[in-house]
Amino acid sequence: MSTAAAEQRLASLWETPKTLHGWFATVDHKELGLRYLFTAFAFLIVGGVEALLMRIQLSRADMTFLSPEAYNQIFTMHGATMIFWYASPILSGFAVYLVPLMIGARDMAFPRLNAFTYWTYLFSGIFLYLAPILRQAPHAGWFAYVPYTLTLYSPSLGMDIYALALIFLTISTTGGAINFIITILRLRAPGMAISRMPLFLYSTLTVSCVILFALPALTAACIFLELDRRWGTHFFAIANGGNPFLWQQLFWFFGHPWVYVIFLPATGMISLIIPVFSRRPVVGYPYIAISTILTGVVGFGVWLHHMFTVGMSDMAMSFFSAGSMTIAIFTTVQVFAWVATLAKGRPVPTTSMYYAVSSVALLVIGGLSGVFTGVIPVDWQVHNTYYVVAHIHYVLIGSNVFPVFAAFYYWLPKMTGRMMNETLGKCSFWIMFIGFNLGFFPMHNLGLMGMPRRVFTYQRGLGFDSLNMLVTIGAFIFGIGILISIINLLISLRSGALAGKNPWNSDGLEWETSSPPQPYGTVHIPVVVSRHPLWDDFEEEWDPDDVRILDQGRLTPTTTWLDAQPIGIATIPSDTLAPLMLSIVMFAFFVFMLVQWVWVALATLIATFLIGCYWMWPRAYADKEIA
Amino acid sequence: MSSAVQIPEREVALADLPIDQHRGWYAMWCVIATEFMLFVCMFGAYYYLGTNKYRWAQEMPPKLLYPIILLAILLSSSFVLKWGESQVKAENFGAARLALWLAVIMGLGFLALQTVEYVSHWKELTPYSDSYGSIFYAITSLHAIHVIAGLLMLSYVGVLPRYGETRGSPHRAYETVALYWHFVDFVWILIVVLLYVIPKLQGMPYGH
Repeated sequence: MSTAAAEQRLASLWETPKTLHGWFATVDHKELGLRYLFTAFAFLIVGGVEALLMRIQLSRADMTFLSPEAYNQIFTMHGATMIFWYASPILSGFAVYLVPLMIGARDMAFPRLNAFTYWTYLFSGIFLYLAPILRQAPHAGWFAYVPYTLTLYSPSLGMDIYALALIFLTISTTGGAINFIITILRLRAPGMAISRMPLFLYSTLTVSCVILFALPALTAACIFLELDRRWGTHFFAIANGGNPFLWQQLFWFFGHPWVYVIFLPATGMISLIIPVFSRRPVVGYPYIAISTILTGVVGFGVWLHHMFTVGMSDMAMSFFSAGSMTIAIFTTVQVFAWVATLAKGRPVPTTSMYYAVSSVALLVIGGLSGVFTGVIPVDWQVHNTYYVVAHIHYVLIGSNVFPVFAAFYYWLPKMTGRMMNETLGKCSFWIMFIGFNLGFFPMHNLGLMGMPRRVFTYQRGLGFDSLNMLVTIGAFIFGIGILISIINLLISLRSGALAGKNPWNSDGLEWETSSPPQPYGTVHIPVVVSRHPLWDDFEEEWDPDDVRILDQGRLTPTTTWLDAQPIGIATIPSDTLAPLMLSIVMFAFFVFMLVQWVWVALATLIATFLIGCYWMWPRAYADKEIA
Repeated sequence: MSSAVQIPEREVALADLPIDQHRGWYAMWCVIATEFMLFVCMFGAYYYLGTNKYRWAQEMPPKLLYPIILLAILLSSSFVLKWGESQVKAENFGAARLALWLAVIMGLGFLALQTVEYVSHWKELTPYSDSYGSIFYAITSLHAIHVIAGLLMLSYVGVLPRYGETRGSPHRAYETVALYWHFVDFVWILIVVLLYVIPKLQGMPYGH
């Protein structure tokens, strides 16, 4: 069979028809990955606008731009949006798009689950934003400490929406994590042994496991909160034997591992980008891989450092202080590996490289202030001041937003088929970098001077005025930088230079596909014999007898999880509306739980089960199955 | 670099390999891992709330009779299902289906008896009385929800046209759902030990 005939046959098997039905029913990981990226980026913009509103309010003393209540609502929505609906989903978006391409698979292990996790993610975000539309946004900070969040102090629907939206989102995130675990462990191309995986897969695998073990604590906490608020139980209120610290324990047991969920995939992306633009393999591959996994593991032993001021035994505090410092070792291993890669290589100054290298620098600053706050006496001093705000933003923007922009500049040519403008990109980078440091570095000083966080204004004459003005100016400059990158993307979509297969001369399998990739990936399933397939003489086409085309149906090979020896072929289901229907019904369930229509909610649960049966039923999607 | 790892034959004829039957099975293990952590968090909350309380489990340990009978029902349903799995392996699909519906009936019996237990328990303790009642009913009813989910999944498998190796998905639906059911049973063992037996033992010096 000629390659052209195989291409045609594969295309007919894998292509989603460009109809309305096809748009809603698609299970193509590339389409879903782009939607993930688009939606998460939209949440970044929304959260960013909320941040700018806060900065206007704080630009001068005694401002009345926002009322205290509006300010509370906006900072809560900003935190929740950025932490839950932007930072992790944008990394999921890259992973959904890139993981199958990186491992040479034709799709994820569970493509319909993939569609379902996207739709539930979208609907949970819409559910959260019902709150500001109803003018009852949550207003207790993104970590929603009780008792302030109980009905006594917070009677509006805002906190209910917060709790239910998070429960809704955990369903999506857990489903995605399971999908990544099975995909990475079972669907790697023959020969891509675990010692040859791109480092991004290590971080995605690690955070997926972390999600499985950390997220239930958030679910439990939110269930307790909602039961306490609307259903009359006593988990948190002291009056009937409840304990408000239960919320903090559960929330931070989830919350700290979540920091690594947001952070590790981004380091994985840096570990791919820096070597490519240093023109050499990454230094210390096994050490990076091991410290990635250990960060995920030890991340479960540090959560109490969010609660040093709560009051607990010296033993507990010492343990968690030591745990927090241990994490720094693993991050440092990665940082040194990146620096060594740069030092031993011949760096190419691309925009993507600018973002990647600067993120390492920002991460070091954020990491160091983290080490300081891990020291108990320092923590007591700076707790709930702007020092902590500076720390979290250096860590999250340094290790999430900057790597995400590096990844956009690196992988967008693959996704859109067109190059981004480098001059405009570097312009955007410098504006973002200067704006970010101008905006967030003075927060360290403000914190040490004693400015409390989450307070809607401050008085004149405390010495906060000029620094706050500087922070506000920096925040707006940062926003302009992001805007320039968006303009860059729009220009590139219209008239960017064609990218070709491998514009950066990279090493990963994803660069073997055309740009943008065909719905089936590569015609021949690749066989991998090294860590850098495209740098060593790799020939996907080296398949003279066409035994690795696999065009007898929607199929992709499965391999053993360590050595990646081929052991089977996995059937991949075709497009279906079931995931979308299930997400809509679940959205209805959460709406009815919000208004406490129990019987209608129960009916939606029955509908969930029936749609699940339709989804799983053998005949329902057999149209394109292997004959 | 990493020469110890075997390099696969480039000429491997992928299309001749068997259809993978295991993805769902592994995914179910992941589901179980995360659900187990949910129960671990619940148990953690149980002990956290129980520190320094004027009234806790050992002051009023729940009666042991019902949970032991419930345990016997669930465990035997697991054994029945285990036997059903061996029948699937032996391609005795009729017997397997019978075992599955038997397990469903036992699961329904579990729910019925637990309702009876709730009714008798309700006189002394409700979710609204205090934090002990809240966490007790939260854990047991969360388990009951898992039983219901397990029963729904079992009855879906019960009406599936055929079991065993299949070309199209769902693959190994029987074994996968049975795995979930065994997990639900295992959680009930934990609940009996942590919420019933240990408080009973702790309460003995108080003459309960």
